[in-house]
Amino acid sequence: MNSHGSDRKAGTLLLLVVSNLLFCRNVHPLPICPGGNCQMPLQELFDRVIMLSHYVYLLSADMFIELDKQYAQDHEFIAKAISDCPTSSLATPEGKEEAQQVPPEVLLNLILSLVHSWNDPLFQLVTEVDGIHEASDAIISRAKEIGEQNKRLLEGIEKILGQAYPAAKGNEFYSVWSQFPSLQGVDEESRDLAIYNKIRCLRRDSHKVDNYLKLLRCRIVHNNNC
Amino acid sequence: MKESMPSALAFILLFLNISLLNGQSPPGKPEIYKCRSPDKETFTCWWNPGTDGGLPTNYSLTYSKEGEKTTHECPDYETSGPNSCFFSKQYTSIWKIYVITVIATNQMGSSASDPLYVDVTYIVEPEPPRNLTLEVKQLKDKKTYLWIKWSPPTITDVKTGWFTMEYEIRLKSEEADEWEVHFTGQQTHFKVFDLYPGQKYIVQTRCKPDHGYWSRWGQENSIEIPNDFTLKNTTMWIIVAVLSAVICLIMVWAVALKGYSMMTCIFPPVPGPKIKGFDTHLLEKGKSEELLTALGCQDFPPTSDSEDLLVEFLEVDDNEDVQLMPSHSKEYPGQGVKPTHLDPDNDSGHGSYDSHSLLSEKCEEPQVYPPAFHIPEILEKPENPEANIPPTQDARSSTPYFHADVSKWSTWPLLPSQHMTRSPYHSIADVCKLAGGPVDTLASFLDKAGKNVLKFSKTLETEEEKVAEQEKKKSFHSETKQNTSWPLLQKNAPIVYAKPPDYVEIHKVNKDGVLSLFPKQKENDQVEKPGVPETSKEYTKVSGVMDDNILVLVPDSRAENTALFAESAKKVPPSLEQNQSAKDLASFAATSNNCRLQLGRLDYLDPTCFTHSFH
Repeated sequence: MNSHGSDRKAGTLLLLVVSNLLFCRNVHPLPICPGGNCQMPLQELFDRVIMLSHYVYLLSADMFIELDKQYAQDHEFIAKAISDCPTSSLATPEGKEEAQQVPPEVLLNLILSLVHSWNDPLFQLVTEVDGIHEASDAIISRAKEIGEQNKRLLEGIEKILGQAYPAAKGNEFYSVWSQFPSLQGVDEESRDLAIYNKIRCLRRDSHKVDNYLKLLRCRIVHNNNC
Repeated sequence: MKESMPSALAFILLFLNISLLNGQSPPGKPEIYKCRSPDKETFTCWWNPGTDGGLPTNYSLTYSKEGEKTTHECPDYETSGPNSCFFSKQYTSIWKIYVITVIATNQMGSSASDPLYVDVTYIVEPEPPRNLTLEVKQLKDKKTYLWIKWSPPTITDVKTGWFTMEYEIRLKSEEADEWEVHFTGQQTHFKVFDLYPGQKYIVQTRCKPDHGYWSRWGQENSIEIPNDFTLKNTTMWIIVAVLSAVICLIMVWAVALKGYSMMTCIFPPVPGPKIKGFDTHLLEKGKSEELLTALGCQDFPPTSDSEDLLVEFLEVDDNEDVQLMPSHSKEYPGQGVKPTHLDPDNDSGHGSYDSHSLLSEKCEEPQVYPPAFHIPEILEKPENPEANIPPTQDARSSTPYFHADVSKWSTWPLLPSQHMTRSPYHSIADVCKLAGGPVDTLASFLDKAGKNVLKFSKTLETEEEKVAEQEKKKSFHSETKQNTSWPLLQKNAPIVYAKPPDYVEIHKVNKDGVLSLFPKQKENDQVEKPGVPETSKEYTKVSGVMDDNILVLVPDSRAENTALFAESAKKVPPSLEQNQSAKDLASFAATSNNCRLQLGRLDYLDPTCFTHSFH
């Protein structure tokens, strides 16, 4: 009796297995990568990169606001502080029309250079600001965060380049951050002025990066129909 | 000198006092309080004029860009209203710091405002969204929601990505005090659930660039949430239910009124089983003659001169299978002689016994007729419960025989020996026996009743007719063998048979139910009796109907014979020749040329075969 029962169970199991095989014959496993190409779609890449750039901008904007609280009424200070940003040597488009006339791959390379050129100054900022200002902690933390995010941003942009414009990869514009000398041994005022300018330029450059990327996304992914 | 100092001072003070008393002074310091760009491509700055010092004051705005040394003046003082400066596209650069100053000048002097450091990038404040539309919609599960839609402000360039907008909506019902605010991100539509039906709601939207200021709240739009949609549906369903109830009531009423007729129309009654050619009513009535007629036994018992009659009507072969001439009962109704009590389906009751040839034996004088039985009657007779019918009785009062006691049959007096010896009588019985079980009693009945038929027919007919008939029969009989069976009849019949089915016009049906027929037409007629006077009116009495549309008629001295119809109108064997003697009744086995017909359980032989053999 027991053997008979076990036989029946075995038979049922076999039947189930066979039927599953038969039914599953026509089932194709869902491919991880559609079309066999394991690449993230361009829209997805852009969305992620733009999220990063937006975040970086927000961080730098916060940084500036913190600093500006101290000097808001001091027009002379501000007047003195404003000077050329070091990255102005990079020929970045200065308006919407200009930006739309630049070929995408060129713009992407510009963005790469822009982001890349901030690595060292950010590092410098962290060491310079420490203990000087009232808002130094806020500034330092954000500066560090921006440094982190910039690295991811670079990776993302490079990926976009590699996927959309593989031929243009490697044509970075390398800028020389020559205008930010070390602030060691400089008087306080000069140091403050330098920091103010740095943060102002950082905010502007992160905004540029963000805006360029958004322009590119609408241009490349959505065909100027966002 | 000391004296001049105080006087100079006094003069100065006086001058100042005088000017103060006049209220004139250089203008106060203006203040630029706001600069805004709606689209990141133009911007406007507004200032507050300071005190004007009592004198007409001029305001001018000067600016310089970052990296440029030169100072420019405001290109447009008008567009944005008083105390404003509008920078059009060509004067606007983003990612550059503008240093803007306003100088107020009057007669007394001028004063300049504090410079404002402006980067257009960060002073973006768009216009509010436009095209705010509100719509109350329903989900599949009847849930209602408010569908809010809007468009970005016109001048902002969202399509190219230059602008990335985020939106916010707020709504409240009319009576409420506080707004309900919802952030919608970058989408330009929004659904709001769980609104109170019957209330009016006000909705507003605003937008903000990704790096910029919120716009002001846009134009108000209001909408009233209707009461439940389902209410309308409920009303509709009530109307539908009422209508269907009314329709159902009407139908029930109609059925009640005409129920029976409708039922019979839809479900016609099932016909009961019947032997073809056999009328059960005849049995009930106990009229032998009618029954026999129904069975096709014509002239049972033979009325007169039974021998002749017998010969004429029936020849049954002892040895062979007997040919039965199936009569066609349908002819009866066709000829309009249908009795009143006819069953709706006569035919089914008629079996193979519906062969008048079978019955048309010559019979002895009938002594007793247990069942009344009118030979010339057509198949269906009016019912008559009487068991015995005197010869003169109306044939219509025949009764179905089969209900009668079998003993009745047996008590039927045998015909005189002459009849008995006559093969047809026996043969009839034999035939009936051959035909089948239920026939047995009938066979005996027929046997005995044959005479009765003949006799009865004889009695019914006018004497002269009968005499003539008998004569004919005799003559006919003399020509024929005794042992001829029905085929003998057939032999006579062939004359009639020689052509396709003959039709005889029914002249009338008399009160006895006797079918009187017109003689056959001469041109077609092969059955014509020679020397038979042609009269316009000639009558033939139908003694029976056979299965296949064959009327077996009582031979008439003057009249032509038989209206015999072959149902399937098989070709008459050409060998059938006109035979004078064949004027008498003949019945045709017309349905097939086969010698054997099978009708029901009875075997019939085609008389034509025998005819051939006979010849």
